[in-house]
Amino acid sequence: MGYLDNSVVTVDAILTTKGRQLLAQGNFNITQFALADDEIDYTLYNPNHPSGSAYYGEAIENMPLLEAIPQETQMMKYKLITLPRGTAKLPILDLGYTSIILKQGANLSITPQTLNYLGGNTFETSGYTATISDVRLFNAFEGIGIETQQAQALNQTVTLGTSVAKSVVGSTINLKATTVNTLFGSNTQLSATLTIEGRDSGARITIPVIVTKIN
Amino acid sequence: MAFKRLESSDFVLSSDAISSTLWSNQLTTLTAFFSSSAQIAGSSGKFYLTAYASSSLGSPEFDIAYGNSQGSGSLAYNSTVTHVSPTSTVYGQYQDLVLGDENTDFAFGALTATEFFALSFERARYKESLLPGSLTLTLRSSSATLTLTDNSRIVTIPQYVGTNRVYQLVSGSNGAVNTGVNSGHTSNSGSYGWLLPDIGTILLNPRALAAPLANGGLTFLYSASSATVTPDISPNFSLFTAINGGASFTLNSNETISSNYIFIRARSSEYNYSENPSFISGSTGEIIFNSFINTPRTYITTVGLYNDTNELLAVAKLSRPLPKDFTKEALIRVKLDF
Repeated sequence: MGYLDNSVVTVDAILTTKGRQLLAQGNFNITQFALADDEIDYTLYNPNHPSGSAYYGEAIENMPLLEAIPQETQMMKYKLITLPRGTAKLPILDLGYTSIILKQGANLSITPQTLNYLGGNTFETSGYTATISDVRLFNAFEGIGIETQQAQALNQTVTLGTSVAKSVVGSTINLKATTVNTLFGSNTQLSATLTIEGRDSGARITIPVIVTKIN
Repeated sequence: MAFKRLESSDFVLSSDAISSTLWSNQLTTLTAFFSSSAQIAGSSGKFYLTAYASSSLGSPEFDIAYGNSQGSGSLAYNSTVTHVSPTSTVYGQYQDLVLGDENTDFAFGALTATEFFALSFERARYKESLLPGSLTLTLRSSSATLTLTDNSRIVTIPQYVGTNRVYQLVSGSNGAVNTGVNSGHTSNSGSYGWLLPDIGTILLNPRALAAPLANGGLTFLYSASSATVTPDISPNFSLFTAINGGASFTLNSNETISSNYIFIRARSSEYNYSENPSFISGSTGEIIFNSFINTPRTYITTVGLYNDTNELLAVAKLSRPLPKDFTKEALIRVKLDF
């Protein structure tokens, strides 16, 4: 009987919905990774634990974790980031809005800004990824200002008809609320969430989006 | 920065052979067998009999079919055309599938046979192939029993018939051959059949099973008369009865799973801060604890694998949070199966 090799942590990965879609299209190509700490509540960390520093993380380190979820919008919400030691403030996003309410057919441009990043407040060089949880809410959902091949490839993705998420990349995100009445059914408004993520900093913010019916 | 590019050396492709029991109830050995009277009486009952592991039927385990080049063992399709019946159809079907030559008969050891029993396993059961050396099949007829296995452990190079690997069925169990008498074959009726692992099929040699006990047979009785019509005396049912009487059938499936291993390396200076809302206090982004400014600590719970456009393609969760700080490096091996 031998001891198990515990020098490497082995975990099984699952494909996301997007991963399955790209696999079917023959475009499945993993090139980079990120780490996240979804499910962790850092307020459970206790730097005043009476038993000493070995126990500061006691309430976190033994917690059981939930299984992975295939919906890419529900995973990797809180990424770990690499910053210089001594950083006192973390990058946060400022959209200028805490929620968005648009009437049918109305337009809106959002230009995110990252606070506390690279020595101050800045517009990230690689731009921002904007993800709307239900693309049907908008006649137009586009990112502009970032002309890289990768950004353009993502922006040209066409999503037809169904209630699926869509992501675009840009320094500015343009929205035009839907004019399709039938989407509302008997409701007077439609709702979704808009998630913006800094492509350099990893900073992320999610706000509610509501489109109201006008006739 | 949240994303880190993977290098070519971070990817390792590995193919692992996975074997498991063949049966749907996950038991190593099947000891009870059931059939469906509706299936036997139906149109498919003329060709094969389906065996189940449960009286409630459920998912099938394997089918038993009898093939005879002369059409014996079942009624002719048309009384004016002799020698053409479901059993001759089955014979031609397996001739085409296994031998690839309609003019060649089956050679069980030293015996050339024009009839066989076929045990055809459900694809979902055997996955990619049957595992040679894992077979133990006990048959019982009257008061005699016979236990069969395949000779894969004593042959150095598999025999090929057409494009199929073939192992002879011999007396023995779990891959161990009773070599004392006729190398596990009968005296003058050849081997007991073939194991065809790549097409999930076992062919049994009726002549060997019907041979006398003294010659290594089972004195197995089955009706190969063309007048056979009732299910309870069909060759298929006779073999089903013998398998059920033996009450011991062990066989494993075999599957090759290709896995991508991706090594995720987080250096000591990387991933020590978090965008988790509980990592900051207030709305200005200030870190929650003063001690975290110079000695931050994060907990890795999730690994995300992305493409060039930052689309999340695959995700893995750790079983428990993995602490990370400026004094620690993390090496995580992510397994991605296809």
